[in-house]
Amino acid sequence: MNFFAYIKDKKYTLLIRGVFYFIVLIFLTALKTPTVSVITVTGVLVPACLLADMVEFNRRRAFYNAVFSNLENLDRKYLISEMLPDADFLEGRLLSEILMDSSKSMAENVAVYRLQTKEFREYIEMWVHEAKLPVAALELICKNNPDVRAKMTGQLKKIDDYIENVLYYARSENAEKDYVIKEYSLQKAFGNAAVKSRELLQLANAEIDASDLDHTVLTDGKWLEFIIGQFIANSLKYAHPSRPLIIKVRAEETEDRVTFYFRDNGIGIPETDLPRIFEKSFTGLNGRKNPGSTGMGLYIVKSLCTRLGHSVTVSSQEDVCTEFALSFAKSTLLKISR
Amino acid sequence: MNKILIIEDDKTLSEELSILLNNAGYTAEKVTDFGNVSSLLKSSGADLILMDINLPGENGEALLQEFRKTKDTPVIMLTSRTAELDELISMSYGADDYITKPYNPTILLLRISAVLKRTRKTGQEMIYKDVHVSTLKGTLSRNGAEQMLTKNEMLIFRLLLDHSGEIVSRDDLMTVLWDNNEFINDNALSVNISRLRNKLADLGLPEAIETRKKQGYVLK
Repeated sequence: MNFFAYIKDKKYTLLIRGVFYFIVLIFLTALKTPTVSVITVTGVLVPACLLADMVEFNRRRAFYNAVFSNLENLDRKYLISEMLPDADFLEGRLLSEILMDSSKSMAENVAVYRLQTKEFREYIEMWVHEAKLPVAALELICKNNPDVRAKMTGQLKKIDDYIENVLYYARSENAEKDYVIKEYSLQKAFGNAAVKSRELLQLANAEIDASDLDHTVLTDGKWLEFIIGQFIANSLKYAHPSRPLIIKVRAEETEDRVTFYFRDNGIGIPETDLPRIFEKSFTGLNGRKNPGSTGMGLYIVKSLCTRLGHSVTVSSQEDVCTEFALSFAKSTLLKISR
Repeated sequence: MNKILIIEDDKTLSEELSILLNNAGYTAEKVTDFGNVSSLLKSSGADLILMDINLPGENGEALLQEFRKTKDTPVIMLTSRTAELDELISMSYGADDYITKPYNPTILLLRISAVLKRTRKTGQEMIYKDVHVSTLKGTLSRNGAEQMLTKNEMLIFRLLLDHSGEIVSRDDLMTVLWDNNEFINDNALSVNISRLRNKLADLGLPEAIETRKKQGYVLK
C-alpha cells in the first residue's frame, strides 16, 4: 500500500474538497477579501487536508502491511484470519469480521468432508477385512478339492491382490500412523512376497535369482512386502513375450543406506514415460497396450515409500530391462539405544 | 494324533479348516458356541489352538492373555488384519505364531507342524525305515553308508517323510521350497527329485519315492 494509491482511491473526497474550495474562493473574491487573506486560508486548509490524509493513510498502512506480511509467512494461507492484527479503524474491523466468519464457515465445511473421507476410509478398511474372509475360505476349498484348484488359484490370487491394493491405497492416503517401523530382514520380505505370487510366477515359468539379501532394514514389514509384491506383479504384467521372465534381486549396503534392487528382463519403460510412472493414474505407452493397467500400483508404492521415509527410483532400457531401487536409511540412533 | 481346536466364527472357513486339518492327519474340533469360549479353551485339552482375533462378543487377544495365565498350549492367531501392530500385540500376549487371511493352506499346515514340533522340543533327528535322517548335518545314513543332501533335497525329503505313505503334490513341495527362499521353477524341482532318488538308490532304496501321475509323489 503506498500513499499515491491511497490518494488515488480517495479521488471523490479530493474532488469534493476541490469543488468546495473553489466555491469558497468565489465567495472570497466576491466579498473582495484581500489576497493575503485568500492565501492564508489556502495555506491553512490545504496542509490540514493533506495532514489528515497522511494520518489516515498511516493507520491503514500499519494494519495492511501486517496482514500482508503474515500472509506471506503462512504456508497455509487460509489460516490468515487467525493472524489478523487489531485494527483501530472501521474498515479493518469489518474486514477482520468478514474473514473470521468466512473461514469459520469454511472450516465447518472442510470438517464435513474430512469426516466423510474418514468414514469412507474406515469403511474400506473394514470391507477389505471382510472380503478377505471369503477369499480365505475359497483358498481352503481349493486346497480341499484339488480338481478345481488349478483353475481357481490364479484368479483368487488376483482378487486378493486387488483387495490388497485398495487397502494400501486407503492407508497411503491418510495421515494416521498405522505402521510400525522396526528391523526387518530383506530376505524374509522378498521371500514372503515371492511365495504370495508363486503360482503366477511359476505359470510364467519365471526364473528368480535372489542374491545377497542378507540385510536388515528399518521398515514396516507388511508394507514392504506389499511394495515388493507390486514390483513382482508389474514384472509379470509387462514380461517380454519372446523370452522367459528373469527376476534378479539383490541388495547393497553402504555406510548410511541399504538399497534393494529389483530387476526384470521385461519390455521396459519408454524413456518419455519414465519420469511419470509414479504419478497417480498414469499408465503411459505400456498401459495403453495392456488393459490391466490402472496406474495405481506404483503410485501407491511411491506414497507408501514417502510415508515410510524410503526412496524409490526406477531405471529402464526399453525392450531390455527395468530396475527399481528401494533405498532405506540406516538409523544410528537405534543402535545407540540398544 | 494331535488334536487341534478351531476358534473361528466364519462357518465356511471353520468348516474348510477342519476338513483341511483332518485331511492332514490331525483331529480337528470346531467351536460352535461362542458364548463361553474362555472356559471351553481351558477344558478342551487340545494340543494346539487356532484362534481368530475377531470373535463375536470377544476379543481374541484378550482371550489369549487370559488363557496364558493358566496354560501354555500352543496358540496360532488367525486374522484378516494386516497391521504390524496386531502381530506385535498377539505375540506379546503369548501367541506362538500369527497368520493373516487369506493364508496359503500349505503354509498354514507347515506353521502348525513347526509350532507343534517346537513346543514338543523333538530333536533334529528322524528315522525313515532304517535310514537315519540328520537335518542338522544334512545327511541320510544307512548301514554305515552316508549321503549328503543339498538344502533343497533335504526340504523335499522331510516333507515327504512328514507325510510318508501319503501323496505330496508338486505344488506343496514348491510352496515349502519357496517358503525357505529357494525360488526354483518346475524343471529344477524335477531335477532335485531325480537327484534325491539317485541318492536314495545309492543307499539301497531305489524305489523309495514313487511318482503318481498328475498328483505328486509318495514316500513308501
